[in-house]
Amino acid sequence: MIRFVFADLRRLWAASLVIVLLVALATALGVAVTLQERALRLGSARAADKFDLIVGAPGSETQLVLSSVFLQPAALPLMPGEVLTKLIADPHVAWAAPIGFGDNFIGYPIVGTTTALISGTTTGFTKGQMFAHEGEAVVGSGVDLSVGTEVKPMHGAAGEGGETHADSIYHVVGKLQPTGTAWDRAILVPIQAVWHIHGLGEDHDHAGEANADHNAAAEGGEEHHHGHIDADAPLDESFSRDVPGLPAILVKPKTIGDAYTLRQTYRTTEGTRAVFPAEVLTSLYATLGDARTVLMYVAYGAQTLVAAALMLIAVIHVAQRRKQIGALRAFGAPRFAVFGIVWLELLLLVAIGVGAGFGLGYGAAEFLAGLFTAQSGVHMPVEFTTSDAVLAATFLTVAALMAALPAALAYRQSPVEALRG
Amino acid sequence: MLPLALSGVAISFPGLAQPVLSIDGLAVPAGGRLAVTGASGSGKSTFVNLVSGLERPDTGAIRWRDTDIATLSESRRDRWRATNVGLVMQDFHLFPGLAAIDNVLLPARLARAATAEIKARALELLSRVGLSRPNQSVETMSRGEMQRVAVARALLRRPGVIIADEPTASLDTEAGAEVGRLLLELADQEGATLIVVSHDERLTERLDRRIRLAAGRVVADTAAEVSP
Repeated sequence: MIRFVFADLRRLWAASLVIVLLVALATALGVAVTLQERALRLGSARAADKFDLIVGAPGSETQLVLSSVFLQPAALPLMPGEVLTKLIADPHVAWAAPIGFGDNFIGYPIVGTTTALISGTTTGFTKGQMFAHEGEAVVGSGVDLSVGTEVKPMHGAAGEGGETHADSIYHVVGKLQPTGTAWDRAILVPIQAVWHIHGLGEDHDHAGEANADHNAAAEGGEEHHHGHIDADAPLDESFSRDVPGLPAILVKPKTIGDAYTLRQTYRTTEGTRAVFPAEVLTSLYATLGDARTVLMYVAYGAQTLVAAALMLIAVIHVAQRRKQIGALRAFGAPRFAVFGIVWLELLLLVAIGVGAGFGLGYGAAEFLAGLFTAQSGVHMPVEFTTSDAVLAATFLTVAALMAALPAALAYRQSPVEALRG
Repeated sequence: MLPLALSGVAISFPGLAQPVLSIDGLAVPAGGRLAVTGASGSGKSTFVNLVSGLERPDTGAIRWRDTDIATLSESRRDRWRATNVGLVMQDFHLFPGLAAIDNVLLPARLARAATAEIKARALELLSRVGLSRPNQSVETMSRGEMQRVAVARALLRRPGVIIADEPTASLDTEAGAEVGRLLLELADQEGATLIVVSHDERLTERLDRRIRLAAGRVVADTAAEVSP
C-alpha cells in the first residue's frame, strides 16, 4: 500500500507540493508566533534575572525597567544622589550600584556604573580585566571592539548622534563573557567618568544645583557644562557624599525578605521608586500574551481555511479518481485498502506539511530573534517545549479525522458505477 | 477451475421498465469457454458485473460451484472476487507511475496476499505474456503490452475463472490477436474457466460456446444449436 501511495504522490507531485506548502505555511504561522512570543518572554526574563531591584525617581516603572535592564534610551527623571549613599550603607543590601546613561559610541550605549555591578551581573572576562582608572572601559561580548581600542564618547543616546566629548577618551581594558542580556552591547565605564564628562561631581559645591539640568540621561542639544575625564584618576567607589543625581540604581538585596523590605522602604520614600523588574515584566507579558492570543486566532483562522481548502481538494480528487478507485476494488483490493490509500495519502501530505511548517516556523522565529538580538543584545532562546509536541499531535489528529471523510467517500464508492463512468 | 450456474437471474435499474438482464438458466462447466456477444446496451457489461460479483442481481442465484455470490455482502464478494476471478477489462486499468511488476502485484499487495511465491509467479507470468522487462513503467508501454500486463495481473492468484470484458476492443488487430491467443492459451495452461465478452469475432470464434444477448436476454446459444 505504501508503495502505491508513494507512486501516486510522485505522479501527482505538483499538486502534492502545493498541498504540503499550504499546510506548511499555515502551520508555520502559528508556530512562529508561539516560538517568538516564548523567546521574547524567556529572553527578557533571563535578561532581567540579575536585576533584583531597581531604584529610581518617581515616574514610569516600565520605562525604568526598560532603560536599566534593556538599556532602552529614554530620558529618565533623576533622584538625589544621597539615595545611593543610603542604599550602600543599608544592612539589607549586598551591593548597590548606580547606572548612568547618556553617551554612546558608534551605536553602543556607554553606561556608567561600578565594579560591583559588573562583577555581580556577569560571569567574568574573556579578555583583559576590570577597569581600575577613570579613563578605562569594559565592553560587553556583543561590542565589536577589542581590548586596547579607544572609545570617544558621543553625547546623547545611541543612534541619536550628537556632539563628541572631544577631549575625553576611554581605553577598553576588558571584554566580558556573554550574558545574553542587553548589557552585552554596552560599553561600561566608571560612573565617576560619566559625571566628570558632564561636569558633575567634580566641583562639590556646584554639584548639587547641577543635578537638575545636567544629568546623564540623554537630553541632546542643550548647553552643557562640559568637563573631561581625568584618565589616570583611580576609581572612587565609596559614594559616601556629594553624589550627583542618578537615573537608576541596581540593588542586590541580601535575601528575598530584604528585597521586599527594601522595595517597601524606597517605594514610600519621598523622591524614589523601587521596582522588581520581574514584576514589571510579568505585566508586560500579559500584554504580550494578549497580542499572542490575537495572532494565534489569526493563525487558527488561516489553518481552518487551509483545512477547508484541503477537504475540497480531497473530495474533488476522490471524485475525479472514481474510475481508478473502482478498478482497484474490481481487481481485488479490499475496501479498507481503498480507504487506507486515500486516508494515508492525505495524512502523509499533511504530516509532511506540518513537519515542514514547524521547521519553517522555527526558522522564521530564529531569524526574527536574531534580528532582535543584533539590535538589543538580548539573547532570545527559540526553543520547542512539550506543548509544541501536543500542538503537532493535535494537528495530525485533526488531519487524520478530516482525511477520513474523503477516504470514506472512496470506501463507499461502488466499483460498478465507477467503472461504468 | 469453477463451474458456473445461473438460475432465474434478473436485474433492473430504477426508471427502466424492462430488466437490463434476465437469464432463466445458464450453465458453464468447469474449464468451459464461453463467449458473450451482443450489441451495445444488450446487457453484456451487466452480465460481467453479475458473474464477477461486482453487482448483485435483484433475484436469482449465481453459483460458482458451491458459492452463490448473489447472497454475499459487498465486502465478501470483493474477497471472493479477489481470490477466484481474474478480470481483464477493455481499458486495462493499470496504474501509472508503477512498474509492470508492481501493477501485476498491486491487488495482491493491497489484499496482503503478496507472498514470496506470488512474487515469483508475477515475474513468471510477465515472461509468459512476453514481457521481458518487469521493471518497465507502464506509461512507456504500447497498448498491446499494457493489456498483456493486465492479463498477467488477472492470472496472478490462480483464479478459477478468467472474465474478460472486451479485452481486444481497444487494441489494433495484431495486438488484439496476440492478447486473444494469450487468454486462451493461459486459461488452458492454468485450467481456468474462461468467459469473454466481446464483439471481436476472430476471438469469440475460438471459444467452445457463444451466447448472444439482445435486450437483456439470451437470443442465441451455440450450445443449444448443437443439442437442442
